[in-house]
Amino acid sequence: MNAQLNSRSLPDPSSTAPAPLVSIRGLRLSFPDQANKPLFGAAPRIEVLKGIDLDLPAGQITGIVGESGSGKSTLGRVMVRLLAPDTGTVLFDGQDIAQLDEAALRPLRRDLQMIFQDPMSSLNPRHRVWQIIAAPLRRFGLGGTRVEAVAALDKVGLGADFAERFPHELSGGQRQRVGIARAIALEPRFILADEIVSGLDVSSQAQVLTLLKTLAREMNLTLAFISHDLSVIRHLCDRVVVLYHGEILEQGPVAEVFAAPQSEITRTLLAAIPLPELDAHWFDD
Amino acid sequence: MTPPSMLDIRNLNVALLNGRPILRDVSLTVAPGEVRALVGESGAGKSMIGKAVLGILPRGLKVTSGEILLEGQPLHDLRPAARRRRVAEVAALIPQDPLTALNPVRRIGAQIVDPLIKIHGWARPAAQARALDLLHRVHIRAPERVMQSYPHELSGGMRQRVLIASAFAASPRLIVADEPTTALDVTVQKQILRLIRELQQETGTAVLFVTHDMGVVAKISQQVSVLFQGKVMEDAPTQAVFDAPDHAYTRALIAATPSYADPERPFSPVPQSLIAEMSAALAMEVRR
Ligand SMILES: Nc1ncnc2c1ncn2[C@@H]1O[C@H](COP(=O)(O)OP(=O)(O)OP(=O)(O)O)[C@@H](O)[C@H]1O
Ligand SMILES: Nc1ncnc2c1ncn2[C@@H]1O[C@H](COP(=O)(O)OP(=O)(O)OP(=O)(O)O)[C@@H](O)[C@H]1O
Ligand SMILES: [Mg+2]
Ligand SMILES: [Mg+2]
Repeated sequence: MNAQLNSRSLPDPSSTAPAPLVSIRGLRLSFPDQANKPLFGAAPRIEVLKGIDLDLPAGQITGIVGESGSGKSTLGRVMVRLLAPDTGTVLFDGQDIAQLDEAALRPLRRDLQMIFQDPMSSLNPRHRVWQIIAAPLRRFGLGGTRVEAVAALDKVGLGADFAERFPHELSGGQRQRVGIARAIALEPRFILADEIVSGLDVSSQAQVLTLLKTLAREMNLTLAFISHDLSVIRHLCDRVVVLYHGEILEQGPVAEVFAAPQSEITRTLLAAIPLPELDAHWFDD
Repeated sequence: MTPPSMLDIRNLNVALLNGRPILRDVSLTVAPGEVRALVGESGAGKSMIGKAVLGILPRGLKVTSGEILLEGQPLHDLRPAARRRRVAEVAALIPQDPLTALNPVRRIGAQIVDPLIKIHGWARPAAQARALDLLHRVHIRAPERVMQSYPHELSGGMRQRVLIASAFAASPRLIVADEPTTALDVTVQKQILRLIRELQQETGTAVLFVTHDMGVVAKISQQVSVLFQGKVMEDAPTQAVFDAPDHAYTRALIAATPSYADPERPFSPVPQSLIAEMSAALAMEVRR
C-alpha cells in the first residue's frame, strides 16, 4: 500500500491555504467483529480507519471519495463526533475533540452538523416538516418558528406548502432536501454532507450545490462532502481526498487530482462514469 | 400472437384524497428480458408508479382509474390477499431508501433467507447458499460476515447491495429497481449494472429501472419513459431517445447531465421557463 503513497498523500502546508478548521492526525478506528466473536471473551476487532492525516481548510469544501466500504462515512462520523476514534487527534478550531464526552461536546454541537445518506431514517416520522427543521433551532435557543422553517425550505427549493407535510408524504429527493434545510438553518461552522445529492436529479443537485457553495463563501462554512459522484466533486469542491481501505491514497486541489490522478483507484473511478450517450461496448472490459 | 408483456400499465391515475393528481394517465409496458428506464425529476411520481404496481401505495394515495396487468392478468380482479401473494411470487422491489427498508434488529442473512423460505418454499440450506452466492455477486467483500451483521454495521453502499441481492434471490420475473445505485461509487455501480444485465439474460427478468441519471439510462435500458409531474412525456426506445429525443424536456434532461471532464461547463438544470410552460399545459388539460 505504501508504495502507492506519494507526495500528495500528506496535507500540504502551502501558505496560501487558509488555516484548517478541522485537523486530523494519526486517526485509527476499529469496530468489534460480532460475526467472529468467540463464545467467551471480547470479539476481535476490524480496523476501518488506519492512520488518517487530514486538514479541512476553513471556508473550503473538501470532497471525500473512495469505493463503497472504504471508510468515508466512518471518517465523517468521527469529524462530527458521532464516533470516537481509538487513537489520534481531531482538532476542531484548535481544540482536540477526539475523546471529549457528550457534556463537553454540547457547546460544539450546533457547529458540527451532519446531513445523512439515508434521509428517511434521520427524520422524525411523526413530526411535520416545519417542526423537523424548527426542533434543533429551539434546542440551541436560536428561535424555531414556522416562519424560519419556511425560509430554510425556500433555500432548498421547497415551497411553503411542504411545511405541513409528514416525511412519508415526500418523494426521496424532497426528503433529502428537508435534511439539508434542517442543517443549514442552524448556520453551523462545519457540515459533513454524506452522499446528499446522489438521489437528486440534476436540477435539484444544481440548486443544492449552488446553495452550499454560496454558504461556504458567504458564511465561511467549512464543508466535508462525501460523494461517489466525481462530476459533483469536480464542480463543488476545492480539494479532494481519495480514501482506499481506510487509508488516504491521495489528496490535493481538485483540479490537480482530476487532471493527473496519481493512483490507479482514482483513474478507475474516472473511467467508470457512465456518460449520457449510447455505447454498445461500455460493459466490455 | 405476441406473448403478453411482463408488466402492462394502462391509463393509470393516482391521486391524493383531496383529488390532486399524482399520476396522470400513465401507460407503459415492460417485456420479459427488457429494461425500461423511468426517468424524471424529483417528485415526478417515479416511485409511486413502482408502488402502485406492487400494491404498496402510501396511505392518502388512491388509484382512481386504469389497470395494471402482470403477465396479461389484471391485478384488480384479485382480492387484496391474493393480489399480494401473486405480486410477491413474481415481482420484487429494490427500494429507494435502503436503511428504512431493512429491519434494524435482524441479521442481514435472515432478512434475505426468510422470504425465500416463507414465500417461495425453499429449504433453509438452499436459501442460505443462494443468499451467500448473491452477496458474492454484488461484490460484497466478506459475505459470511455480512450475513451475520446488522444493518447499522454496513456501509450505505453495502446496504444497497444487500437489497439488490435480496431482490434477485428468488429469480423474480419482474423487478422494480427504484434508484438502485445511488449509494454506489461508479466502479461498483458498473459491476451492479453488469450483474443486472447478466441475471436478466439468465432468467429473462423484466426490469423497471427508476433513475435520474441519463448516463445510466443510456447504458442499461432498451426503452425509456420520461415522466413530468405524473405524466409520461416521451415513451421511446433508448436508441431513439439519445439519437433524436422527441420532447424538449428529454433533451433538457440529457443536456443537464454534468460532466466531470468539463468543469467549465456549469451545471445546466432544466430551464425554469420550460418547466413553467409544461406545468401550465398540464393545468389546462385538467381544466378541460
Ligand atoms: N402521502 C403523500 N401525500 C401527499 N403527497 C405525496 C404523498 N406521497 C407522495 N407524495 C407526492 O407525490 C409526488 C410523487 O412522489 P414520488 O415519490 O413518486 O416522486 P419521485 O419521482 O420518486 O421523486 P424522487 O426522485 O425525489 O424520489 C411528490 O411530489 C410527493 O411529494
Ligand atoms: N457499527 C459498525 N460495526 C461494525 N462495522 C462497521 C460499523 N460501521 C461501519 N462498519 C464497517 O466499516 C467499513 C467502512 O464503512 P463506511 O460506512 O465508513 O464505508 P463508506 O466508505 O461510507 O462506504 P459507502 O460508500 O458504501 O457508504 C465497512 O466495512 C462497514 O461494514
Ligand atoms: Mg457511506
Ligand atoms: Mg422516488
